[in-house]
Amino acid sequence: MVVMALMRIVEQLAEGDTAQFAVASASELELVRRWCAKTGNTVVSTMMVEQDAGHVTVGRGRPRDPATMIPADRMPGARLWLYTNFHCNLACDYCCVASSPKTDPRLLGIETIETLVVEAAAWGVRELYLTGGEPFLLPDIDAIVRACVGQLPTTLLTNGMLFRGLGLRKLRAMPREGFALQISVDSSTAEVHDSHRGAGSWKRALAGIRVALDEGFTVRVAATISAHDDPALDELHALFDGLGIPRADQVIRPIALQGVADEGVTFSRESLIPEVTVTAEGIYWHPVAALDADALVSRQILPLAPSLDLVSDLFAKQWSSMTAASAMFACA
Amino acid sequence: MSQLSGAPLLVGAVAYTPNVVPIWEGIRDYFDTPDTAMDFVLFSNYGRLVDALRAGMIDIAWNTNLAYARSVLQTDGHVRALAMRDTDAAFSTVFVAAAGSGWSGPGDIGSRRLALGSADSAHAAILPLHYLRAAGIDVEHMQLKRFDSDIGKHGDTGRSELDAIDAVLAGDADVAAIGITVWENIGRGDLMPGTLEQVWQTEKYSHCMFTALDTLPESVSAPWVAKLLAMDWEVPAHRRILELEGLTRWVEPHLDGYTGLFEAIAQQGVDSRW
Ligand code: SF4
Repeated sequence: MVVMALMRIVEQLAEGDTAQFAVASASELELVRRWCAKTGNTVVSTMMVEQDAGHVTVGRGRPRDPATMIPADRMPGARLWLYTNFHCNLACDYCCVASSPKTDPRLLGIETIETLVVEAAAWGVRELYLTGGEPFLLPDIDAIVRACVGQLPTTLLTNGMLFRGLGLRKLRAMPREGFALQISVDSSTAEVHDSHRGAGSWKRALAGIRVALDEGFTVRVAATISAHDDPALDELHALFDGLGIPRADQVIRPIALQGVADEGVTFSRESLIPEVTVTAEGIYWHPVAALDADALVSRQILPLAPSLDLVSDLFAKQWSSMTAASAMFACA
Repeated sequence: MSQLSGAPLLVGAVAYTPNVVPIWEGIRDYFDTPDTAMDFVLFSNYGRLVDALRAGMIDIAWNTNLAYARSVLQTDGHVRALAMRDTDAAFSTVFVAAAGSGWSGPGDIGSRRLALGSADSAHAAILPLHYLRAAGIDVEHMQLKRFDSDIGKHGDTGRSELDAIDAVLAGDADVAAIGITVWENIGRGDLMPGTLEQVWQTEKYSHCMFTALDTLPESVSAPWVAKLLAMDWEVPAHRRILELEGLTRWVEPHLDGYTGLFEAIAQQGVDSRW
């Protein structure tokens, strides 16, 4: 009875304080949103591990300063996402940016990236995330990673399938400090993962994780869960635990209805706490919406600071006039 | 004026949630003109708040309906009601049962186990019995289950009403008496689908009231009340306070809404303090 729990706990919180509640269905999450809208409280974030089950963080009231509710590392501008490229060796059926081997690569390019990350660090960005497409398809990905890590802690999202030959040499040339790999594994057995990502992909992803761990890298894992599959979360965690990956580094989230996905959770710009995202085509509100015209912030990539300022300002305005709640969507 | 001579108007309230501090700091900051400047002091219970008003320690008390009635009774009526929330002018008690009960009206409550909130909550204990009696129910012989949590705070925390609802949900009581605000906050049951339904609702009555002694000069209270009534939901800084305090606008006193409570206090022999 989530609403009784909200009534007992949230009403007694000091303004700006937050509490977390388990929700067991999409309709229960909707009840939490409606209760917050009705009672003047705030849905700060939802961490849905499946399409419709997970945790929701609720804050008391609507403080003038969102920083009292949103953790510093999730405030707009804390994270910068760079889509290094859009082509991929896979063609997953839920890919939020519709990547495949045939996709136009739309490279951001190392020179632009070097400039971006220097500006990002100067502006106050705390963390960089490199994603694609598959970044390991780029011949200079090791140099890109070094340029990023030289400025800020960096995470590279990869399907982990290309750590052989040239790919392995590039991996080995990447720094171990201030750098993590995030590798996608969607299920505890090959079947579900391969049904979305292609035959043999689960086995190679797991092999990739082991290679990266053996090479001394910090590895995080990310699972994207379809509403149509049995999530078997206990088995999935057991698999990741067995690889020696801490629970905090096991990201589990539902499919987002973006790109080629034909199912998934929907977002609007107003409902997402921004994580500024740069692609060759422009600057976007959030990495989950990097093809979404509604999420386009600017066609102009450089200089970066005006876009970071703009997103922060827009978010502050959105927050202060908020009736609908913003939510974090966990890409990493 | 309060005994702190030369000081701004002093308003007393009861600290029933941590948010009482931001609410009153927000209200104090809002009263930013010399003729309305105010400060506030918090008490742990309404008994002490009324004592402080009578003793002249504070100029204005933010009273519950029971505290207002006690202020009237303890001063032989030498108090003045200043303003209330819009939500206070149309308060009521709602009787709820498990969904599907099919019960309707006071007749269906009289023979059932009734869960009541704190004994000092007018809306969750005193008035439910009063209005049932007025509807012809023999309340002396009803099976009552009382949840006397947070005594001294006149039901402000809402905890006893949630306890009463939980008793119904657990099957330990048939009907719970709760304030309309708790019922509204669960969307009149819509936010707890398939669990609760309304059996009966009392007539409207008045709830909280800013109360002063009749010795507080009109020239002092009038500008303060005028400024209070000017708080605007459309102004974000005002709205934050209004939302935390649970109203959309401040309104003039509705004194006829206290008749039932004065009768109930006399009939039930309600303690004159706490
Ligand atoms: S989800 Fe990742 S691995 Fe799959 S096609 Fe998209 S970019 Fe490639």
